[in-house]
Amino acid sequence: MRLTRLKVAAAAVLVASTLAACGDAGDDDDKGLDVDVQDNAAEEFDTGTRMRELADAGSITIGVKYDQPGIGFKGATDDTPVGFDPEIGKILAADLGIAPEDINWVETISANREAFLQKGEVDLVIASYSITDERRQVVGQAGPYYVTGQQLLVKADSDIESIEDVKGTEVCSVTGSTSLANIEAEGATPRGFDTYSECVDQVLNGTVDAMTTDGAILLGYAADHPDDLKVVVEPFSEERYGVGYSIDHPEMCDWITETIEDAQEDGDWAAAFEVTLGKSGVETPEPPAMDPCA
Amino acid sequence: MTVTDDAPVGSDAPRSGGPLVELAEVQKYYGGLHVLQDIDLTVARGEVVVVIGPSGSGKSTLCRTINRLEPIDAGRILVDGMPLPQEGRALARHRADVGMVFQSFNLFAHKTILQNVTLGPIKVRGLAKGEAETRAHELLDRVGVAQQADKYPAQLSGGQQQRVAIARALAMDPKVMLFDEPTSALDPEMIKEVLDVMVDLAERGMTMIVVTHEMGFARTAANRVVFMADGRILETTDPETFFTSPESDRAKDFLGKILKH
Amino acid sequence: MENVFSDFDLVLKAFWLTIQLALLSGLLAMVLGTLLAAMRVGPVAVLRGVASTYVALVRNTPLLVMCIFVFVAAPNLGLFVGTPFLLKGTIAVGLYTAPFVAEAIRSGVNAVPLGQAEAARAIGMTFAQNMRHVVLPQAFRASVPPLASTLIAMTKNTSVVAVFGLMEATARMRDFVNKNSDDTIGIFIIFAIGYILLVELISLAAYGLERRWKAAR
Repeated sequence: MRLTRLKVAAAAVLVASTLAACGDAGDDDDKGLDVDVQDNAAEEFDTGTRMRELADAGSITIGVKYDQPGIGFKGATDDTPVGFDPEIGKILAADLGIAPEDINWVETISANREAFLQKGEVDLVIASYSITDERRQVVGQAGPYYVTGQQLLVKADSDIESIEDVKGTEVCSVTGSTSLANIEAEGATPRGFDTYSECVDQVLNGTVDAMTTDGAILLGYAADHPDDLKVVVEPFSEERYGVGYSIDHPEMCDWITETIEDAQEDGDWAAAFEVTLGKSGVETPEPPAMDPCA
Repeated sequence: MTVTDDAPVGSDAPRSGGPLVELAEVQKYYGGLHVLQDIDLTVARGEVVVVIGPSGSGKSTLCRTINRLEPIDAGRILVDGMPLPQEGRALARHRADVGMVFQSFNLFAHKTILQNVTLGPIKVRGLAKGEAETRAHELLDRVGVAQQADKYPAQLSGGQQQRVAIARALAMDPKVMLFDEPTSALDPEMIKEVLDVMVDLAERGMTMIVVTHEMGFARTAANRVVFMADGRILETTDPETFFTSPESDRAKDFLGKILKH
Repeated sequence: MENVFSDFDLVLKAFWLTIQLALLSGLLAMVLGTLLAAMRVGPVAVLRGVASTYVALVRNTPLLVMCIFVFVAAPNLGLFVGTPFLLKGTIAVGLYTAPFVAEAIRSGVNAVPLGQAEAARAIGMTFAQNMRHVVLPQAFRASVPPLASTLIAMTKNTSVVAVFGLMEATARMRDFVNKNSDDTIGIFIIFAIGYILLVELISLAAYGLERRWKAAR
């Protein structure tokens, strides 16, 4: 036992020094922020907790989206996903003494997030994962670390300013999504596509008038095309993104909540926003208040 | 263009005073097989020429080259003084002037008897429907199938179908009629009704080139008999001479086999 | 909460769009397919080559690829930008189905005895007249069963445009399933019945045509 702990501590020191040695790659590139990886992190946690196990193991598996720019996106040539969600993942991992390169990233899509958590295929899900009562029946959700709502992505020169303006227009989103049904209720013709990127293409080439889904996702696309696209309309629904964890490890809730609250206070949260979603030009919002753990 | 029942068919003013059909040094190959060799043949206006010979002698091919259903490899074919055009509209116009009757009738299966006869005049000659139908009824009456006008080909006997096919060709007012073994696919009792129509046609002055095995028709209706074997024309003579004293051994041999029965 | 019964008008609207798609695509596919078939049996070598290439290219490409081209790639090249979605769906499904129609008709053309075309040539018909009045009408009769199969497949294929902005039957079904995850079986049955009715209509029409033309023989 003692030996193991020593070994892990040594490894953590080694990792931290390696990071420091080549760590000045700059904050501005797409690799995201450098994070301060905790030394001797394992000793911070009580034996028997999931956090201690992960810290001892020195690695963690996190599920993120790979197809939402700004939120969680992995290009064909990228080694790791980039976006606000992966940044939150790195902050949490660092608190366990796990360096970014030791994080095992896994793509989760909307349909498999609960299953991956239940089967233990991932330790955390940080994937534009809205907190709902139904989901909290089957998985743990700590947060919200970010609050967004359904908005519209339009061309920079579009006349659409308020939700009333969408009546009679063509608005795309992902086929079968709630966003599409909501916009149909507002009097727009719904245009469902299989992926967000196809939908954005339709906005860019002028085939449809707008794209609708969570504002955070829209901001990511706007950040990719800051001269051509903008996000408009007051959010007309509220989506509160949470960090998913297995319901078998309730102790993770307080840890996640406290770690994110720390990041909100010391500026790491804001920095993570600025290098990802913030690139669309929007002001960095006030961080949301985290729900207390049950 | 009005053609009454009594006028000779193909009454277009002749383009030239020369022969109506002229083949000179025609050669045709099927791969390595030389199926038409040095064919020279002239057919005068109003003449009835019967082409006979053993099967595989090239007589059907000869018949089909005259409206270019079979292209030739060398030589010249002139119809009414005009060389055969290449594929295209000009050839289509040429074919309209050359009537053809096939061994297997080839009536348009999806058209009624009347429509079979009017299709060409309406679509190719540009006749009004009513005019074409009046003329078609006359022709069908002449070949003795007026009662069948509204039936489909499959409902007619072979002999009736072949008579309709003749009427279909005549409806185009052709300058010359080609018959490619018109009775070979018929039951014996139907052969006569078709031959009667052909004899009538010959008597009205139609220029005809007939490939057939019907020696009786050759004797009564032909002005000339052309005997072919192995892709060559071996004899060209009047029927009486041919049947009584053929020159070539091939012709003697052929007649011996045919006339034995 | 919407469900299939309280919002049955949405179901009808979706199937109406599917019917429009099927009719328009079917029309485009028949016209283009007939043209391709005529080109393939025709005397002009260049046209034969063009038609064969189109048939080979499109028949060996998935419909989804054709849709991505029409809905996503083409607008980025400046094509079909202002084109209504229904028309784009028609173009994608119609262009995709045309080679199958062409092959069905070509098999029908091959079933027409050679003597029919020869007789038409012998009375002075041009290639186009021959095709139009003699060969194709008979080829269509011989092609009815394979054409019916092609059109049935095409009607079901219209569902692919569900993910390209058209709220037709399949897109609406996904929409309902998403909102009523407790009643997916009911939704499935309703939409399946809709498709079955559509396809049966085509089968019945084909059967009727076959009977009528058999009587004419």
